[in-house]
Amino acid sequence: MPHGGRRARSGFALAGALLLAACRAAPAPPAAPSPRVVVMAPAAAETFAALGLSGLVVGVGDFVTYPPELAARPRVGGYDAPNPERLLALGATHFVTSASEAAAASRARLAALGVEVIALDGASWEGALAGMAALGARFGREEAAAALVGGIETRIARLRERTGTLPRRRVLCAVGRDPLYAAGPGSHFDALLTAAGGENLFADGHGTYLLASLEAVLARGPEVIVDSADNRPGAPYGALSGLWGQWPLLPAVAAGRVWQVSPDRYAVPGPRLAEMAEAFARFVHPERFGPPTAADFGPPGGE
Amino acid sequence: MRRPRPPLSARRAAGWLAGLGALLLLAVAAGAALGASGLAWRDLAAGDGTARLVLLEVRLPRVLLAALLGGGLAVAGAALQGLFRNPLADPYVLGIAGGASLGGVLAVVLAGAAGARLVPAAAFAGALGALVLVERLATSRGRLDLYALLLTGAVLNAFSGALIFFLQSVASSEQLHAIVFYLIGRLPSPPPRTLLFTALATAVATAALVRRACDYNALALGEEGAAQLGVDLERLKRATFGWASLLTAVAVAAAGPIGFVGLLLPHLLRLAAGPDHRLLLPAALLGGGAFLVLADLAARTLLAPNELPVGVLTALLGGPFFLWLLRRRAREAPDG
Repeated sequence: MPHGGRRARSGFALAGALLLAACRAAPAPPAAPSPRVVVMAPAAAETFAALGLSGLVVGVGDFVTYPPELAARPRVGGYDAPNPERLLALGATHFVTSASEAAAASRARLAALGVEVIALDGASWEGALAGMAALGARFGREEAAAALVGGIETRIARLRERTGTLPRRRVLCAVGRDPLYAAGPGSHFDALLTAAGGENLFADGHGTYLLASLEAVLARGPEVIVDSADNRPGAPYGALSGLWGQWPLLPAVAAGRVWQVSPDRYAVPGPRLAEMAEAFARFVHPERFGPPTAADFGPPGGE
Repeated sequence: MRRPRPPLSARRAAGWLAGLGALLLLAVAAGAALGASGLAWRDLAAGDGTARLVLLEVRLPRVLLAALLGGGLAVAGAALQGLFRNPLADPYVLGIAGGASLGGVLAVVLAGAAGARLVPAAAFAGALGALVLVERLATSRGRLDLYALLLTGAVLNAFSGALIFFLQSVASSEQLHAIVFYLIGRLPSPPPRTLLFTALATAVATAALVRRACDYNALALGEEGAAQLGVDLERLKRATFGWASLLTAVAVAAAGPIGFVGLLLPHLLRLAAGPDHRLLLPAALLGGGAFLVLADLAARTLLAPNELPVGVLTALLGGPFFLWLLRRRAREAPDG
């Protein structure tokens, strides 16, 4: 019996020790799984990269072409028709897209599937900056986002100071050629060219982008044309008059201030906004800021 | 109960045609005088180079093109409605517009930088391809079957539409932009040779259809009745199909599928001036021209410096008006 009693006591002791160990090692609540983000908007994709959040991105929309590490992620379709099956197969927990009407149906569909939808206003300057701040806040990079936005605002303010005393040149920002589509008031192009010392040829237009009257363009005589309509691979970019050369009466053509630029460089109102504005200053006032460089024309990353 | 309309007299016809001719002239004058730029003809007289460019190379060619295409589409619609004895027939039922649209969209997607310039030629080629295909498929034992023609046209339009959707889904954003605006219908400022070709095609096709005006009148009695009156039905069908298709092909190649002109104008004129095709066809040429010139004037100036696609304006004006017309016809139809 003594042996049996010792065995019983040691058995209780072992059980107690195990119980104590088990209590000490009681599992902490499981860590929240890392977000798996699908990004449809090119500006948002650039913001993720700028904030050091590229690792969260598991898929991108068809229009994301930069930065290269995100452009190589699996594609899930366009704004208006992302493939929900592919998106769910990627295990997406967050869907970052445009606040535009075109994306409304896809936002509703994915929200119904339990994916957190974040819709950003990418059409305007203010919307672009607010979007960067919102992504920083949502994914734990408030300070980095504040620094990013603050840096852009500081550079733009400095540029505004430098162009404040220069003559305002009439600028046509063509974003489509056939038919002619131009940037109107409220677009980020409008803000860029205004900061760069220009005046939007269609500041009185209706809508942020508008189907523009060719007759109005010829009569108003733009002094600078920034043409970002051509996104074909291998398209010629640079100080080329292109189709505008058929109207030598246009002041921009006569002065050699027609700039063919990549839409991928300028159509994305994201972290590169300050660079874009500084390039616009070279387009609008080359005599003051120096002629545009090769890096001002082609797609981003092609420098 | 509507009063029976008096038979067409030369005087009444001349009155209608003079009135519509004056309306077309006024529309062209207004179209040439007004635009998004505010430039006027007196600026041209003052030797302003920009005014010369805007008025002579941009505004006036576009106004003249609108007059020609509007007239051509309305004539094609009037002739087809006469042939099918169906007021819902319009130039786009034959599949020609579908073929033309497909040709234009293929040019945008496949031809790279030259695509935009190739659109009119490719659309015209697509229309001719569709014409040949529809004619072959709708001909049985040497006879052109009108029902087969309608069905083949509808299927070809649907098939072309599906292919266009496919091409849109693989197009780049810039190509998509061009495709969308081409399919809505918008008038360009054509070079002189395009204008000349359009004028010649419209004149020849309209003359060929007007020549058959009495045959369309006879056809109102039914195919048997028309045959008894000596109408060569087979020739009439082929001539109408061919010339109406040419007018449609020219219009869609130049400006995309502008809707409602070929449906609405013949209806409106038949209601106002009567069903006699000797008056209806030339009236459609003048009235259709005036309608499209005025619609384009509105498209150019309503939201200036923005433009509206003219196809949007014709549909906005045409849709409600057409529904009103249908409602009115239903109310006036005898009971039972």
